[in-house]
Amino acid sequence: MSADPILEIRDLSIAVGGLPYVSNLSLSVGRGRFHGLLGPNGAGKTTVLRALYRALQPQAGEILLDGQPQQGFSPAAWSRRVGALVQGGGLLSGLTPADIVEIGLTMRAMTARDRGRATQDALQLVGLADKAEQDAESLSGGELQRCYFAQLLACDPEVYVLDEPTNHLDLHYQLRLLDEVKRRGRTAIVSFHDLGIAARYCDYVHLMCDGALVAEGEPAAVLTRDVLCRYYRVDGVLEGHSLRLEGPVLDDRSAPAPLMHVAE
Amino acid sequence: MSRGSPLLLPLSVVALFLAMAAGILWGTAEISWSERLAILMRSEDAPRGLSLIIWQWRVPRVLAVGMIGAGLTLAGVLMQTALRNPMADPYLMGLSSGASAAAVGAIIWFPASVTTTLGLPLIAFLGAASAFLLTIGLSTRRGRSLDPLVVILAGVAVSLMFQALTAFFLYVGDPHATRNAMGWLMGTAAGTDWQELPLLFAVLLVSLALALFTTSKLDATLLGDERALSLGVHVGRMRVLVFLITVALTGVAVAVAGIVGFIGLILPHMGRLLVGARHRVLIPQAMVLGAVTLILVDLACRVVLAPEELPLGVLLALLAAPPFIYILRGMSRVR
Repeated sequence: MSADPILEIRDLSIAVGGLPYVSNLSLSVGRGRFHGLLGPNGAGKTTVLRALYRALQPQAGEILLDGQPQQGFSPAAWSRRVGALVQGGGLLSGLTPADIVEIGLTMRAMTARDRGRATQDALQLVGLADKAEQDAESLSGGELQRCYFAQLLACDPEVYVLDEPTNHLDLHYQLRLLDEVKRRGRTAIVSFHDLGIAARYCDYVHLMCDGALVAEGEPAAVLTRDVLCRYYRVDGVLEGHSLRLEGPVLDDRSAPAPLMHVAE
Repeated sequence: MSRGSPLLLPLSVVALFLAMAAGILWGTAEISWSERLAILMRSEDAPRGLSLIIWQWRVPRVLAVGMIGAGLTLAGVLMQTALRNPMADPYLMGLSSGASAAAVGAIIWFPASVTTTLGLPLIAFLGAASAFLLTIGLSTRRGRSLDPLVVILAGVAVSLMFQALTAFFLYVGDPHATRNAMGWLMGTAAGTDWQELPLLFAVLLVSLALALFTTSKLDATLLGDERALSLGVHVGRMRVLVFLITVALTGVAVAVAGIVGFIGLILPHMGRLLVGARHRVLIPQAMVLGAVTLILVDLACRVVLAPEELPLGVLLALLAAPPFIYILRGMSRVR
């Protein structure tokens, strides 16, 4: 648990369409710290993040920001402090990258001039300044992801909730954009599949499996060979920021069964 | 002129006034230019019969058609955004058929006193609301977002069901009442009188005000429900508002002119091509274009086969086919 938590999740349970996705999950996120949410496909990482940006209503438990329950904030007030980079598509016909960034800013009280300047700066940061007025439908998947990243960087919330932020991005932009979040010293809670990238950026990681938290701590302490075998079904070891495979990818029968307990 | 040029809206408003003038001055009746001027200036020596044609027939008709064009375009813009579906419009989603089935049923089955008391627009509103709820209900799967194509297929199914219901009402109804309903159902603005305009105007004005009040939330919704929620938009509440506005606009439009298809589908796309998708600019621009288009199509309906009049729906369907196919092909780009 963090000494100075800005965000706390207590006994969170979420069901979607009657199916339990997350059960009794508790974790806290330290102010100004970079937290990783890890786990195999279907572990419940995105579900937890969706609850953080209010796309899902928990059936039980609570989410606190600076000790205040999420329900006490209006959706707009919450979004000003907790911003998210999310998955999913939209109807982009007739929009430009500059429009997409500005749409995020129009939800905030800013003058048109400040909005324009913040939009330009953010597009510059993600390397899309020269495509600011291009049709957003013509952007590649990676460019679109950078565009949404630019929107979030322009809004610059206190807490960054990033759901698989490296999706579609080339290595240069994966590092450049996460470096930028880290440089700003903001709090971040981020879901990752790339354990090397997670180890490079996270001060602390939370490992999930089947909707429950199974381990948490500093990356090197959590991402052990045994954990990788049990939860990722990969025989490998984390060396610094890179994963070294020690053997073949394990199938369901040869991998040890996941342990559903919390270890720190 | 570049996309989003500030001159576009003023030019479109000029085009709207020119279209209105054309709609008022042209028609099947032979009226000389001096007579037209005398009638418009309310001159004492204006021929009384021709004056009646202009002031009691053409002016209210042009105003009604303009407002219906603008209203259905607004409904299309809002539906396409709220459902993030480029094919969504009041016609394809079954709202128009629901409104017309309810209105035909009321004309045939209810005593005239009931339809007069409740008012055809309210009955049409209830029909459109039922159709909308049915379409959304049929396309919804628990825990999944709405699939644009499934929504359209559900809309077509609901539309067919209400059209069958309308045909059934007409078939089994009393011949005199059926004739009244048939006349109304043809989808024509002929016979619109001044009394119908205040309600149309009020619904349009309130809808426009509400839509302009929520433009930034509508913009955010274009990026997807998840992004809109993360930006602090109450997506559910916004959808309810869009539902009420579109149902009211469709109900009142159908009550005045019967089913007018495709305007709500095509014109929002034309607006986006011209000024982009930001709603603060798109809504007024697309509405003016919708008004101009429907006024000109209605004028063409009056003069192409004069003295016979073409139903509005026939010419609209003819003109809408190519852009409809273009939009359908573009659906694969929704992401």
